[in-house]
Amino acid sequence: MLLLAGVFAALAATAGAAWLHEVRPRPVLQPVAETVSARAEKAPLPALTADEERFATALWAVHREATRLAVAMSFAGITYQTEDRDVHAFARKIEPMAKFFQDAGIQVRAMSAPPSLSTTRDQYVNAMTLYANAAVEILKFTEDGNSQRLSEAHRMDVLASEDMLRVGEVLWPGQYKPH
Amino acid sequence: MRKPALLSRPLALAVVIAAVASLFGAPARAQQPICSAWLIESSRFMNVPFGSFMPDRAFVPGSTKPESNIPTVDLPVNIGVIKCGSELILYDTGWKQQDYLKMTGSDHWAPLPDQLKVLGFNAADVTKVVIGHAHWDHAGQLSDLPNAVLYVQREELKAIEWALNYPEPHIRAVNSDPGGCNRTPACGYMPLTVEEVYGKVLKGKAVIVDGEMEILPGVRIHPAFRAHTAGSQLLEVPTSIGKLVFGSDAFSSYEGIRDWMTANVQQTDTVQQFLAYEKCYKITGGYNNCVAAHEPLSYTDKYPLTKNSWVALNGGRMAELTLAPGEKSRKP
Repeated sequence: MLLLAGVFAALAATAGAAWLHEVRPRPVLQPVAETVSARAEKAPLPALTADEERFATALWAVHREATRLAVAMSFAGITYQTEDRDVHAFARKIEPMAKFFQDAGIQVRAMSAPPSLSTTRDQYVNAMTLYANAAVEILKFTEDGNSQRLSEAHRMDVLASEDMLRVGEVLWPGQYKPH
Repeated sequence: MRKPALLSRPLALAVVIAAVASLFGAPARAQQPICSAWLIESSRFMNVPFGSFMPDRAFVPGSTKPESNIPTVDLPVNIGVIKCGSELILYDTGWKQQDYLKMTGSDHWAPLPDQLKVLGFNAADVTKVVIGHAHWDHAGQLSDLPNAVLYVQREELKAIEWALNYPEPHIRAVNSDPGGCNRTPACGYMPLTVEEVYGKVLKGKAVIVDGEMEILPGVRIHPAFRAHTAGSQLLEVPTSIGKLVFGSDAFSSYEGIRDWMTANVQQTDTVQQFLAYEKCYKITGGYNNCVAAHEPLSYTDKYPLTKNSWVALNGGRMAELTLAPGEKSRKP
């Protein structure tokens, strides 16, 4: 009798669980197949034309050093804040960067870009200008100690890096790999 | 007769204080929070050649061996969400800019604040962020966590600066050749990512860690230098299913930890990576509670810790790893 009651209870529990499973709303859950098909629909990036490739190659020479110095500018700030608090050393690190970004802006503006990439080139020039201005702002901080200038410089750096990233998206897809 | 009594009063008081302290002090010392933990897929690298992620799993055309018959894998970029009492901690922060997506062949990215909202958390409630290392796909979105204090190893910062200024262009912290950060060993520190770190430093919300550090009772940072990058760090977390250890890319692959295979070699000393695996075995008593950053089997039964999973924003997945007593499930 007990055994029969146990079997009945187990059956009832299974039926209840099955019913709950069927009627419970599952709004956020999506089948995995959907994710796979979404991937397949993505269009590949169009290849660059020969002229565009030439521009991308010429710009890379600037870009390689620009990315390095953009990171170096942040690092100069990190070192100043966390290590030495030496404004003179900070200024010495930033001065050549200010010059590089100013010159890079001029150099890229003078590059002949195919019409399809003129906006991209302007975006890159804008990034160089922002970095140059950020460097100047940091140099002013090393003279007057107004820390607000560092926040403003950081804001400009972020905008510049976003611009540079968007240019990279057009010219150098595949620039970043899984890390 | 009164004198001895007066003399003994301070002594008696001291004894009472000591007794009370021993009653309440010991439990207070032993009182460690039991934390809850979730995993968020920040994005997914698609179609990565398996052998470039794990040399021991390189594809051999025509092979029927299970270890060499998978050509490509999709690698999640996992973020740990850890709640210990009123503290909300993130381990890694994925990457921010959608612009990276086309460049990496990634998919399923969603903003971290939106993903946290799915779990019922606000980005502003995050109190601490521990980054396993400062690569661009692990240290983005810091600026979206306005109140969080960042924990990063000094060793990591020193190594980035070293690689930044190293004269040989193949050893650079950022874009080293026309392939960009094409898996050159010191690469992976993009301007925007380092600016995110600098932003925290500038706001006085960064702790530069030297080696081991307990950031909450029982929640402990362990250095894992050169287990992936120069300043990699692990995070030990006490939970109701035992200790978890989050490993970022020192633990890129759960299968790697389980079967002792190296994965995601960058600035990696493979012996140090194995020592990081060993640390997880020692802390957790095995490999099942080691939380991997890029395990292709994440969110499936084959990685049991992460199997309680669901698909959330933009096809990205989430998993509820463990709940503290009284913590309600956040799985929809």
